[in-house]
Amino acid sequence: MGTMNILVGQEQGNVPVTVLKIEGDLDASTFKDLQDKAAELINEGTANILLDMGQVEYMGSAGFRAIHAIANMLNTEQKEGMYKSEHIKLLNPRGEVARVIKTLGFDSFLEIHEDRAVAIASF
Amino acid sequence: MTQVFEYSIEADLENLKQARSFIESSGNALGVKSDTLGDLCLVVDEAVTNIILHGYDGRNGTVDIQMERDGDSIVISIRDAAKSFKAADVETPHLETSLREREFGGMGVFLIRKLTDEAEFSTLPAGGNELRLVKRGAFTSGSRNPP
Repeated sequence: MGTMNILVGQEQGNVPVTVLKIEGDLDASTFKDLQDKAAELINEGTANILLDMGQVEYMGSAGFRAIHAIANMLNTEQKEGMYKSEHIKLLNPRGEVARVIKTLGFDSFLEIHEDRAVAIASF
Repeated sequence: MTQVFEYSIEADLENLKQARSFIESSGNALGVKSDTLGDLCLVVDEAVTNIILHGYDGRNGTVDIQMERDGDSIVISIRDAAKSFKAADVETPHLETSLREREFGGMGVFLIRKLTDEAEFSTLPAGGNELRLVKRGAFTSGSRNPP
């Protein structure tokens, strides 16, 4: 079976940022774990999430579904039109994962960073 | 002689990784180029996920995957014995709308169509469905395996 681990870390930039480091495969058998973990953290007060994708080996549409759901949980402002989420950002997606992000147009809605410190400071 | 790679899994999301591994190892054996192989793993994962979630919908069943080379193309067929699937009923996701307004779902079929050259859904005479996928230009020039 596909396995996925989530490591949770706290960082302080201009605001507190929760870093979720995802390791393994983000597919239909695992995406709910990410969604549930994020929901739990948001319930406990997390307002900003950086998803560290550097160790994600595989991501299909289920992974996007989870990111989409988390973005909607965090974006409480009812903004109109096109904008990038200020509360969820991605760090370092690799290879095929980065390619699919573009194919699905998620790069229009999510900031994608390569440098962890820059990513944390951007919130 | 054409080499045909075949693999069957039980319809359980826990087996998705096995389906992807089958595509990866068969593709490597056939000499499929790396980017194309990544696309094929994704497309097969999406197709099998849909069969398990929407076709079998919790019932037991199997998914049979076949992969072979045809000239410069890779041809993959995925068969199931689930209820009939109508791809035309699946709405295309609106990629230009904001995340808040975007609907969940439909991304799998969108990716399958986007990342293959042909994606033909058909109902089998004896029941079940077949998805036939063709990806052209799947090999680097000078590939060791002749057409």
